[in-house]
Amino acid sequence: MSIIYKKAYWWTFAVFIGFIITDVAKAQSDNTGERRVTGTYIITNANVAYPSGKIQSNTSILVKNGMITAVGKNIASPSNAHHIKGDSLFIYPGFIDGGSTAGVTKPKDPERPSNFNSASPPDDIAGITPYRNALDYFDLGNAQVSEWRKAGFTMAQILPEGGMLPGQTALVIFGDKTSTNIYSENTALYATFNASRGMYPGTLLGVMAKFRSLYRNAELSSQHSALFASNQGINRPERDKVLEAFYPTLDKSLPILFAVEDDLTVRRALGLQRELGFRMILSGASNVEEIIPILKDSQTAVFLSLKLPEDKISKIKEDEESDFERKERIDRIKSSYTKALEEAGKFEKAGIAFGFSSQGIKSADLMKNIRLMIANGLSEEAALAALTLNPARILGIDRYTGTVEQGKLANLVITTDSLFKEDSQVKYVFADGYLFEYDTKAKKTRSETTDEVDLAGTWTYVARSPQGDSQGQMVIARESNVYTGEITLDNPAGSGQITTAMNNIEYNNNRLRFEFSIDLGGNYLTFSVSGDIDGDEFDGDLSVTDLGSFPFKATKQPGA
Amino acid sequence: MRKLIFIFSAFLIFGTASAQTKKGDLLIKNATVITVTDGILEDTDILVENGLIRRIGKGLSGGNGTTIDAKGKYVMPGIIDAHSHIALDVVNEATSPITSEVWMGDVIDPYDIGIYRALAGGTTISHAMHGSANAIGGQNVTLKHRYGTRNPEDLIMKEAPRTIKFALGENPTRVHGRNNNIQPRTRMGVEAVIRNGFSEAQQYKRRWSEYDQAQKQRNSTAVPPKYDARLQTLVDILDGKVIIHCHSYRADEIYMLINVCKDFDIKNIVFSHVNEGFKVAPELAEYTMGASVFADWWAYKFEVYYSTAFNAAILNRNGVVTSINSDSGELIRHLYHEAAKTQRYGGLTDQEALELITINPAKQLGIADKVGSIEVGKQADLVIFDSHPLSVYAIPQMTFVDGVKYFDINEDNHDQRIRVSATEMVEPIYLKEHEHKCMHNVDFLFSNFGRNLFDHNH
Amino acid sequence: MRKFNLILFACTFTLLPLWATAQIDGEVVKPRSGTFLLRNATVVTVNKGILSNTSVLISEGNITAIGENISSTDAEIIDCSGKYIYPGMFDGGTKLGMVEINSVAETNDNAELGNVTPNMQALTTINPNAVAIPVTRVSGVTTTLAVPSGGLFPGTAALINLNGYTPDQMYAGFKGVVMNFPSSARRSTRDRRSDDDIKKDAETAMKNINELWQRATMFQSFREAEAELDYYPEMEHLSKAVSGELPLLIEVNAAKDITNTLEWLADKPNVRAILTGVAEGWRVADKIAAAGIPVITGPMLSIPTRESDRYDAAYTNPGKLLAAGVKVGLRTNDTENVRNLPFNAGFAAAYGMGKDEALKAVTLVPAEIFGVADRLGSIEQGKSATLFVSDGDPFETKTQILHVFIDGYKIPMTNRHIQLYQEFLERDPGLVK
Repeated sequence: MSIIYKKAYWWTFAVFIGFIITDVAKAQSDNTGERRVTGTYIITNANVAYPSGKIQSNTSILVKNGMITAVGKNIASPSNAHHIKGDSLFIYPGFIDGGSTAGVTKPKDPERPSNFNSASPPDDIAGITPYRNALDYFDLGNAQVSEWRKAGFTMAQILPEGGMLPGQTALVIFGDKTSTNIYSENTALYATFNASRGMYPGTLLGVMAKFRSLYRNAELSSQHSALFASNQGINRPERDKVLEAFYPTLDKSLPILFAVEDDLTVRRALGLQRELGFRMILSGASNVEEIIPILKDSQTAVFLSLKLPEDKISKIKEDEESDFERKERIDRIKSSYTKALEEAGKFEKAGIAFGFSSQGIKSADLMKNIRLMIANGLSEEAALAALTLNPARILGIDRYTGTVEQGKLANLVITTDSLFKEDSQVKYVFADGYLFEYDTKAKKTRSETTDEVDLAGTWTYVARSPQGDSQGQMVIARESNVYTGEITLDNPAGSGQITTAMNNIEYNNNRLRFEFSIDLGGNYLTFSVSGDIDGDEFDGDLSVTDLGSFPFKATKQPGA
Repeated sequence: MRKLIFIFSAFLIFGTASAQTKKGDLLIKNATVITVTDGILEDTDILVENGLIRRIGKGLSGGNGTTIDAKGKYVMPGIIDAHSHIALDVVNEATSPITSEVWMGDVIDPYDIGIYRALAGGTTISHAMHGSANAIGGQNVTLKHRYGTRNPEDLIMKEAPRTIKFALGENPTRVHGRNNNIQPRTRMGVEAVIRNGFSEAQQYKRRWSEYDQAQKQRNSTAVPPKYDARLQTLVDILDGKVIIHCHSYRADEIYMLINVCKDFDIKNIVFSHVNEGFKVAPELAEYTMGASVFADWWAYKFEVYYSTAFNAAILNRNGVVTSINSDSGELIRHLYHEAAKTQRYGGLTDQEALELITINPAKQLGIADKVGSIEVGKQADLVIFDSHPLSVYAIPQMTFVDGVKYFDINEDNHDQRIRVSATEMVEPIYLKEHEHKCMHNVDFLFSNFGRNLFDHNH
Repeated sequence: MRKFNLILFACTFTLLPLWATAQIDGEVVKPRSGTFLLRNATVVTVNKGILSNTSVLISEGNITAIGENISSTDAEIIDCSGKYIYPGMFDGGTKLGMVEINSVAETNDNAELGNVTPNMQALTTINPNAVAIPVTRVSGVTTTLAVPSGGLFPGTAALINLNGYTPDQMYAGFKGVVMNFPSSARRSTRDRRSDDDIKKDAETAMKNINELWQRATMFQSFREAEAELDYYPEMEHLSKAVSGELPLLIEVNAAKDITNTLEWLADKPNVRAILTGVAEGWRVADKIAAAGIPVITGPMLSIPTRESDRYDAAYTNPGKLLAAGVKVGLRTNDTENVRNLPFNAGFAAAYGMGKDEALKAVTLVPAEIFGVADRLGSIEQGKSATLFVSDGDPFETKTQILHVFIDGYKIPMTNRHIQLYQEFLERDPGLVK
């Protein structure tokens, strides 16, 4: 860890302690009755996962003001300690998420200027906002945070949402809402291969070139600033907050966290890194088995994606296998599927201390996916390390968290059984020394039984085409069980918007389908939209005969 | 200038930092060898060592590789396609009339089955080009079809010089002028955009050389200018380091760019498609590195309505270095047949027809000293045919790149995909060839439903 | 750079006898009828073997004599020694004459609005002066099926000969109602519908077809009963396909869709079905053969339908269909490059079909499929003089087509491509004036 890093952590640590003290000092009364009575907890007689990976039984843990103050067999219980009987419970370090968007909202798109030119759009419109701070868009009270905490995560590197350079990441604790929960800001400059729709850089081609250009100009601009600072007669450097945001990456004091998907995106990120020389962490990697040696040789820190492909093989019905060549095809799909499950295990075998990033998966799938990885070659120890100590090391915070040890942050996951067992459930989570307790009796079954949402109302949608987003509204009405509706869209034949009827609306099992047609200079073109309703969100695809299909997302407007 | 050189050498290092690509040893016996540059040699052997042709002659033996008896078969140099879009994830950065900073090497897709299909048609090298949406498009990359690798860098022909895509006529004027309301909307605008680009590049070059001069002073406090990869690439064109491959159709626009190049003293330019090239054949012969054409495509858009399938023959007879290209994941599989069409339309000889897909495209890509003919010392990119490759009945049997066999009609599996999706239970069925075309990625969903975008978009 | 080989140039000259047909400045060469004696050719009859040193007499539009010693006093004699005579080639599916320039919508007359428009007549929209027609016919392709495209029942296709001043003069005696069978396939990697949605869409489409067909069947039964009917041109036309009065050309490509089509046809014995496209026919060739339904397939020069397919799947498809016992005709499905039909056939021949069968697949077989074999498709006495003379195998790329006759008319061997060649081969002034 660099010196700057150390400083940053000591500073945040001090702030952190300070918060606890002021909290105590001013909390004279709380007329909501929600405030805890004590910040001291003792969990007795539990099974504790030691840093070595060993599980030590009959062990107690003392938590005081956010810290683990003792771990061992015979710990005296202070009189003000909240006592939790740990009999048969298992205690693990709180999980650390290498790349999370829980609780992060996307900043509003800025207004396009009247002289907008798609060939040279303003940086902020083109998704180039490296000066933004994820914290400014983070809400600890968001339900996603509670869900991930319930899944065992107590810390996360949160990712700003946006285009190719959305902003800077931050480390937060999923603690109590009365605390700021900021562990450290500006932990990495977040970079993606996301192109701007309908403007430069409009594709991966432009993104690669733009990234190089920004980095090179940041180097030149910092040279200029340095000259200006130490010489006379130098013209004033033009302030450019985009380039300035790159300055700390130039001397590697700040890493660039690259969002990747598969081997090709990893190679592209590695290429840029080799060419420009910044320090890099990869987030969200999958399908990268073939390049494990390259990752190992380059000592690149990796957060693997927790996403696994959907298991479609086991759903094949026998009678569908009639096609004479189908078996061969299915075998190849099967082996791809298995390979995806085995990937984490192969990283372990290669000796790469990887972490995980949760971006793109639901918290409910976390343990299911990790168990699948374990069933396919990942050891339980390595799985635990990937959730705890490895990310702590990658993020440079292993002195403070990542293990259950005296002197570390009181971030703990307490489960009813050994963590990765099928029936094991999270009973308690300590985050930042705060206790969160969960009901472990009934296992909730998902979907099917959930009540269907009433579609009636006004929805706003965004359809993403290769050349740009198209936005509009859907107004849906309901009469008994029949839905009717109208959709407004950009007039393909000219300017403005047109409204057309939504046809063949079908809605069941939270799945919505409908069609609409538009007149294109004499040709009628029919679009069909289908996808899933989840609360007020619709996530689906819009498809057009022969043209393929495109993501289509809609949100129901409140009260409409 | 040192800073600048550093910047650009870094750009190139990307290509050279990778591991060595596979090189093969091989002995082909008793073949009819179509050398292209040295006639046809009957009953002749070719010895390949470490990816290079070591000896050509009769009764050769030795070598460490396998021996292939090609009696009764024809061996020709690997076919070279000077205009292709296979093996690319993205084709067009269509958002600006000039995008000379982008590089196709960044978006290579080694998993494209199109590479294998091209090999099965004897094509060993393709020029993976940016699309035709912009007056000055991106920098292209020359690929060797080393199919099977997962590493995009393995596909790059590192010896090949830099090239860049330009485009004239309907595509840039539609995409920018008519759809986005920025210049160019006309062929006049296309000329202006290109001239502006080169003129700005001259100023940019001056700024940097002034800075570099100042840097030489002791205790210099010179402030570096802004770095602009777009202009720097244009500077490199002006300095003769990059070959222009220009999408063009009409004689007037071809003539225009020839004049622009004359004014800026640019010599390295190849015109591509160039359907009306036959009208300005003497000019193309005098001032350019040649023309790369379709064998017979026409009438899919207005600017190719006045075309002729005799184009290649007229160009060739007028001394233009001419090649036949595919611009298509379909045609790239039978360029030998496309070349043969010049025999129906214009009566080219076997020799002339074969040059169109071997040594001539190699010249246009600046790699004629390494590939494009069967000569001692050249890279062993070879195809074995069962009969004369210009016959419609000819079937490629084996294809080699650097002496390594990448296609064998008798041994290869049917399913040649390298990577298979873990969830794609219903495999897509392609009834039209949608991919690998010039205007790929420019098909707007709502802003422009170009009716023409899904058939012929070249 | 101007020194091109004079000998080669001279060769080109002789290979293109169009210059020998005495084209005079400003004169338009028109197709002309008359009596022609094609003397001493090798005649590839297609159905009666290859006849060497044989002459063919053309008179009043027909082949009036075939034999070794034919003489005629009034015939224009065309020496065909060392040359070959073939019947004109058929392209079993094109947009030739319906579309002038693909990207210019105003010149596209092949697709009408609406999903059920079987009453749209391809023959109506044939432009006898389409620039691509003379470009096509000098290749020996004399007869093409003009196919409307668009919705489920886009219109009625018509067979035309590539000579004539009105559509009726071009009409070659076959019409068929076109049906685009709904596809249950995923259309490309960009088609991101879920597997269930794809299935559901296909089911909906089938339901729709069956309802339409029921209506057409009802209309037909009323028509037979001579009941009074409201004007309903769509059903009136569709009912002709129901009754078998007009054949039904069913465009279908994916394997699953082909078997669905066969199932759909199973209880419709009156329907005279012809399958077109049939790109994945090889997957279900036995089923097609068992159903005894003829096929028009192509183009061969296209990529395999699936990424997992062998690279030559499209080349080998006609050969595999034929081997299974299917009656196979070929098509290009093209507009301006229908002239590539013989090359498509050449690939089919090389990749399993064999030269003889590939030749039949572009001559006699389509003539039979379209029910015009009494006039077209082979060189026989009494048949229409729709044929061509070449200096070799017409599928071979370098072969030159020397003369083309359509219904006895001698076709001028020129077109815009050739005229541009003539004008620009030696531009004057060249580089400098």
